[in-house]
Amino acid sequence: MRIEAKNSAVEFHDLTVSYHKKPVLWNIDMTLPKGALIGIIGPNGAGKSTLIKAAMGLLPLGSGHVRMFDQDLDTVRDKVSYVPQRESVDWDFPTSVLDVILMGRYAKLGLLKRPRKADKEMAMSCLKKVGMETFIGRQISQLSGGQQQRVFLARALAQEADLYFMDEPFAGVDAATEAAILSIMQEMTASGKTVIVVHHDLQSAAEYFDWIVLLNMRLVASGPIEEVFNNKMLQETYGGKLTVLAEVGELVRKRQIPSREKY
Amino acid sequence: METFFEFFSFSDASIISVTVGAILLTASSAVVGTFTFLKKKALVGDAVAHSVLPGICMAFIISGNKNPLVLIIGAFITGWLSLVIIDGITKKSKIKEDSAIALILSVFFGIGILMLTYIQHNGNAAQTGLDSFLFGKAAALVGNDVITFGVVAVILMLTVTLFFKELKLISFDSNFAKALGIPVKGIDLLLTTLTVLAVVTGIQAVGVILMAAMLITPAAAARFWTDDVKRMTILAAFLGAIAGLIGAYVSYAAPAMPTGPWIVLIISVIALISFFFAPKKGVVSRLYEQRKMQHSMMDENLLKSLYHLGETDNDLFKGRSLNEILSKRYFPKKKLKETLTRLKRQGFLNSDNASWSFTEIGKQKGQRVVKLHRLWELYLSKYMHIASDHVHDDAETIEHIISPEVEAELERLLEYPEQDPHDEKIPY
Repeated sequence: MRIEAKNSAVEFHDLTVSYHKKPVLWNIDMTLPKGALIGIIGPNGAGKSTLIKAAMGLLPLGSGHVRMFDQDLDTVRDKVSYVPQRESVDWDFPTSVLDVILMGRYAKLGLLKRPRKADKEMAMSCLKKVGMETFIGRQISQLSGGQQQRVFLARALAQEADLYFMDEPFAGVDAATEAAILSIMQEMTASGKTVIVVHHDLQSAAEYFDWIVLLNMRLVASGPIEEVFNNKMLQETYGGKLTVLAEVGELVRKRQIPSREKY
Repeated sequence: METFFEFFSFSDASIISVTVGAILLTASSAVVGTFTFLKKKALVGDAVAHSVLPGICMAFIISGNKNPLVLIIGAFITGWLSLVIIDGITKKSKIKEDSAIALILSVFFGIGILMLTYIQHNGNAAQTGLDSFLFGKAAALVGNDVITFGVVAVILMLTVTLFFKELKLISFDSNFAKALGIPVKGIDLLLTTLTVLAVVTGIQAVGVILMAAMLITPAAAARFWTDDVKRMTILAAFLGAIAGLIGAYVSYAAPAMPTGPWIVLIISVIALISFFFAPKKGVVSRLYEQRKMQHSMMDENLLKSLYHLGETDNDLFKGRSLNEILSKRYFPKKKLKETLTRLKRQGFLNSDNASWSFTEIGKQKGQRVVKLHRLWELYLSKYMHIASDHVHDDAETIEHIISPEVEAELERLLEYPEQDPHDEKIPY
């Protein structure tokens, strides 16, 4: 079930993505609305993170394309922010909270330029938004899981983007952090920003999001929560993988064929 | 001693040139190596270091002389080639990176040694000294050579300074960097080039075999002292420079001695010292912290036992003998005496004729531990539904680590309870 967004921020057009030649996402085709809090939901191995990585150009696309605000990513990159999974970096890296948040300003600064005072003030105000202003000089290895996630969110806020892709921002955080992050996201969407979140908890998904994308190697449903978040759709998403799809994926990997023929 | 003064008075122009050269080379490779270290690519540095040897020999065979620029170009080509092949093997085959590195390192180094042997037996008079590239010879850094190598070293350090922000970002979070639109591939390529260049220049002082140590060890040592990339880079350069300076001296004082092993030995000693004695991260400092914690746990256990004795006789301030204390809880005799003396010194206990009693603050401290122990037992049984005969051991540990904030929270949550799960009174 696929409902088109009227006022779209992101358009996935026939997207296919492979990992080591094995297709993990098949023919994703959908539009996502502007100004909405959007949840990408699906079981483990459904390709949720892969989808947003592909959208950000971090993985090669087998076929299809992604357009944001009717443009290519490269044209609107300064309007788009990506929050990777917390575990994807080494938190023992010798740097401070302030330095990590300033990384959100690097694209605006350009190569070879150092952060200025205005950037530091900006970083400070972002830290305040996530409730961590007292942590500014702290070494990042001293942060708890929830604090690490807040720092990542603050770094994204420092980018001043219009469209946010967040990979599991609620994974492994305490209840207080979860509530804080959610309220920041709601504030963001209220001011017209689009927030797309990879999420794994069905229970809270029902409360958090305006728009839901149900994913399991293929697009099961995309639409306003009240229309697609129902038993039938969830059954289709979680009721076992399509075994034929998985088997064909395996065959593609073994034969090492590209997902689209090339001559 | 005489040579020592002669060297460190820098009276001779050649001494200055050797010293400046060695310092520049070791410091610049330490600066570049900091990022090799942070990107966890230490082995790659080792592979490059070994792979430059065939390039040097090839350049010599083709040109017939030891012009450093020509040798650098040759070294650069094979150093680079090795990285490209390692990358290709890792991406295109089932062989993993560590195996690919081991394969390429040994193949390239083997070819290098083969060529070196060929050159040496070929009777070319110009070849003398070429083998100093194996183990390094800082004393050979004179005249135009030092200028060439020095310029490359300065370029290396300047490039790292210029791209510091980007190098830091890609070392920490390269996916985020890509998402920002930063040319990650380009910066990676730059770092690889810098690594190869650092190796190529460094080998004059250190030699190909031990060059990897000069890339990685200063950074590893510096990591113990600081939690900031910038300070770490500067410190690594400084530590590298110290090793370079001493290496230059050794090379001057004993010209027959290869410099590389000396430089590596010195930087390794520096790394060892850092490993043991750095504040906070060093082994000694950690042992000290552990010991402090053990002492404080001993103290609290003893005060708790005295409090228990007082509870039994309804007289908290009564003097107690060693045997009485031991009847409550086992302590090793020697430790017990040490602890009693320490507590007396700190004003928690009075002693009179081998009889020990609480001071007011000693009683308060003992009482707090007893309270925390019982509060925690109650918390475990009430909120975690653990049977009351299973809560004691856990509380024995937790009583020592509960902070005043958690203490207040527990009291509030449990509403200042009167009794613990074993019906013992909780003292306030």
